[in-house]
Amino acid sequence: MALKGLDIFKLSPKKNCRECGCPTCMSFCMKVAQGAASLDSCPHFSPEAIAALLEATAPPMKTVSVGNDLKLGGETVLFRHEKTFVSRNRFAVSVCTSMEDTAVKERLSGLQKIDYERIGEREYIEFVLVHCTTDAAGKWEALVKSAAATGRTLILDCENPDCAKRALAICADGKPILNGANAENYAEMNAIALEYGVVLGVRGENLSKLYDTVKQLEALGNKNLILDVTGKDAKETFANAVLVRRTALKDGDRTLGYPSIVNLARIARGNLSLQTALAAAFTLKYGSVIVMEQMCYAQALPLYGLRQNIFTDPQKPMKVTPGIYPMNGATPDDPCLITVDFALTYFLVSGEIERSGVPVNLLITDASGMSVLTAWAAGKFSASTVKAFFDGQDIASKIRSRILVIPGKVAVMRGEIQEKLPEWKVISGTKEAVELVKYLKDGEHLKAAAAPVKSAAPRMGGKLVIPDIVHRDMGVSYKPRNAQSKKFVIIGERIHCISPVIREAMATFNPDPILERAAQQIKAGATYLDVNIGPAESNGPELMTWAVRLLQEDFNNVPLALDTTNSKAIEAGIRVYNRTNGKPIVNSADAGSRISNIDLAAANDAIVIALCSADGIAKDNEERMHHCHTMLERGLSLGMDASDLWFDPLFLVVKGMQEKQMDVLNAIRMFSDEGLNSTGGLSNSSNGAPKAIRPIMDSALIAMAMMQGLTSAIVNPNDRRLMETVRSCDIIKNNELYSDSYLEI
Amino acid sequence: MAFTAKTEAYPASVIPVTIGTGEKAITLGGNHALPFCSFDAPIQNAPKIGMEIPDAGIRAYLQAGLCEFYQGCTCPAEMAKRAASVPGVSFLCLHLESADPNGENKSAAECAALARSVAGATDLPLVIMGCKNAAKDAEIFAAIAEALQGRNILLLSACEENYKSVCTAALSYGQKIGAESAVDINLAKQLNVLITQLGAAPSSVVMNVGSAAAGYGYEYVASTIDRIRAAALAQSDDLLQMPIITPVADEAWSVKEAIVPEADMPAWGDAEKRGIEMEITTAAAYLTCGSDAVILRHPAAVSAIADMLAALI
Repeated sequence: MALKGLDIFKLSPKKNCRECGCPTCMSFCMKVAQGAASLDSCPHFSPEAIAALLEATAPPMKTVSVGNDLKLGGETVLFRHEKTFVSRNRFAVSVCTSMEDTAVKERLSGLQKIDYERIGEREYIEFVLVHCTTDAAGKWEALVKSAAATGRTLILDCENPDCAKRALAICADGKPILNGANAENYAEMNAIALEYGVVLGVRGENLSKLYDTVKQLEALGNKNLILDVTGKDAKETFANAVLVRRTALKDGDRTLGYPSIVNLARIARGNLSLQTALAAAFTLKYGSVIVMEQMCYAQALPLYGLRQNIFTDPQKPMKVTPGIYPMNGATPDDPCLITVDFALTYFLVSGEIERSGVPVNLLITDASGMSVLTAWAAGKFSASTVKAFFDGQDIASKIRSRILVIPGKVAVMRGEIQEKLPEWKVISGTKEAVELVKYLKDGEHLKAAAAPVKSAAPRMGGKLVIPDIVHRDMGVSYKPRNAQSKKFVIIGERIHCISPVIREAMATFNPDPILERAAQQIKAGATYLDVNIGPAESNGPELMTWAVRLLQEDFNNVPLALDTTNSKAIEAGIRVYNRTNGKPIVNSADAGSRISNIDLAAANDAIVIALCSADGIAKDNEERMHHCHTMLERGLSLGMDASDLWFDPLFLVVKGMQEKQMDVLNAIRMFSDEGLNSTGGLSNSSNGAPKAIRPIMDSALIAMAMMQGLTSAIVNPNDRRLMETVRSCDIIKNNELYSDSYLEI
Repeated sequence: MAFTAKTEAYPASVIPVTIGTGEKAITLGGNHALPFCSFDAPIQNAPKIGMEIPDAGIRAYLQAGLCEFYQGCTCPAEMAKRAASVPGVSFLCLHLESADPNGENKSAAECAALARSVAGATDLPLVIMGCKNAAKDAEIFAAIAEALQGRNILLLSACEENYKSVCTAALSYGQKIGAESAVDINLAKQLNVLITQLGAAPSSVVMNVGSAAAGYGYEYVASTIDRIRAAALAQSDDLLQMPIITPVADEAWSVKEAIVPEADMPAWGDAEKRGIEMEITTAAAYLTCGSDAVILRHPAAVSAIADMLAALI
């Protein structure tokens, strides 16, 4: 948890001795809060104050590890949408010394039957709770032994120190939980737990007693605890579970910052269906280990499904496992349809295929959970990734048919895939999933497969040919801007192959639509033009060379952002790039698989847009800044000027990630505080909003972002409201001298 | 000093909405705290359980236990009587699936006659669930709203495509409006804006914010309801303060776990038992997140959820 400067100041020596190098204790504390100075540089902080500060910055809830590395706790939020839940809850069934031997045997063998896989996760009953009644007599050790023999992690539910010792002598190796410390026995139980190195479960008559016992155990130096929050009935137990978690996470009181045990066998004994219902409730509300009397498959299936849902990271797209999905009874002789692993795409496409009733093999390829067009534009769904998928999964030997239908939206890469998979007949299918039913029923894919091969892209003697650049007067010329100007940099986003018009133009080297959009954007005040050619695997260098020359020659060397995942294409573009009006921008690098684009920018004296993400969206600003610093260091080590790295916090869509908007804005402030440049696809935030609303939202956001220090954005310069806002903000920020006509110049 | 946990006092509450009439009328919502958090504020109205009555009658059900429960019922009205006798049930939901133009395409007049017969068989509050065809639902809701004038029924539901006509019918005959959106907080709010702009009082609207069975995208539901309740209680957003009703039955009984016969999956055991536990888990999850009412199919699930409510309240 972040501490505020004033909180630190309260504990500071307040001597203003300047030994730390800061003029006052106050300014030193502010720096510490920002992470710009370390407490060590002050010789006068008392050890108590340092301990208090360390305590205050510790995570709000401990993670404890039991059994074979089962992690419990470590949560940071009360609701999953605030960030994510971390450690999924675990299930236990219980046995007791008062049970008949045959009943124990049946229950222990029964629990082992539930063991299956669901979407990449092993689902089984992780714990056995072994309860020791006072009249345990000679049965206790035998019960512990047979429970341990299941291989599951044990919870020794026992308040008697002597029984605890005898049980641990048998099963301590399995790292069980010793669940039974209370206000009376805690000192003895603590000694036993420490001796055997196991997690100690603490309980109390009520929360206040529980709290005191935890305090006492912590004073004895034990923070390897779990809280048994089971009360006298379900109502009290629910209250305990919620209040314990809330006290730790919301009120920041770490005394209750431990995972929890909820024992339904105690509060709903004999009513198995009620136990199912309560188990669902405690899966949502803060049970770390949920103990049931017993569990059958009928209970396990929905409970594990619910758990898997709730503990899914809301910031990671739901993905389907790549592979072959035979539909409608398809055999290896039936044709293949390929699409991406984004769960919604999969459900849509497979649903339509099912409706058609036509047997086909649906191939799902790894595209990082992106939709078809997004994956294609990001280079995650391309001829190479398809080829790698075919090789990796050994499709050619698993499928005998040689017909492959690709989504119509990416028809442009049909030729490239055909080239990489010469044995196959590659066909471009329908643009939308809903059209599939008719397409398949009418056998369009089979007809297309029977038709003679059409010749691919313009090729002569195996070499790609770049058409001559045809010059045209668009009536607009790019007006160079002062290199020292602090004015906001608008990167026009309209030349993007995700637009069908531009995709078509690039596939056929047709200059007209590209020049038209360039002229509009320059006229509207774009500083840079972004040129996105898609992955263009077969002809990237030629296409980028052509586009760069086309645009720069026609528009007075307008500066460009070269936007593709194909680094050869970027290099080729830079080779013919004219720097008169600004360095080229490499769009983009990230802190993950695309970090080498920083090297590319460094080698070519270019600017690089550095996305503060690695795989998927950063979960918080700590991670964003970590990525930022990784890329900054790399750039600087390669001799780049820091100002040539433009950091992109990744703008997130309001409809869906409304509560993350301020995070993004705060990240911009952090870049700006470090003197770094920033940019980003700002209008993503209004994605999905009505057309009339988007300019209003975008201009509000850009004003806020400029206030935070954003220096550039990749936007549509034809959005007049947005451009007027940018110009007005530039006036207020004193980046441009005011005149009544400032909007027109 | 002894530890006392802090309680949460919200500045706002969920709007109470009453459906039905007379002694058996029920009030959904009205609470000042999150579900089962009686330590924050006393629970004004406990969540309610309704039972689904299929318009096709008993032939809609294949499970042995369900068939046994409804044995001897020759029509939906008789089923309604039987369902009304189950402890814990406080309203009934007539599901008019046969109105679907792509199915049996029963006319609005037929649907209204059926609704009248069910209403005649019980004095419990009634929820009328349509066939998911927006245009047809508008038609049947208009006929039923008129036929059951004075019964204060809930029409489930008005959606983006038909809210105007459904609202008009409900407002003309004094019925309540169900506002249905598909697991999207922004759409849920937008639909409430549109419905209130037509003149409906917030106290005549109940939300159905979308359903998913446990294991089938329930995380989206959980986060949508978490955020709706946070907006209603903490931010006092009066366009999201309507109570929530969730038809659980259809979702729960149509997933693989509830359908696959035991013969295909011997380890899983009896299919009906699996359906019941799926219905219980899904309903319990909805109630814990913030649903004020659930619509269930199986009497065994009703009994478990009634036990759960009794245990937690």
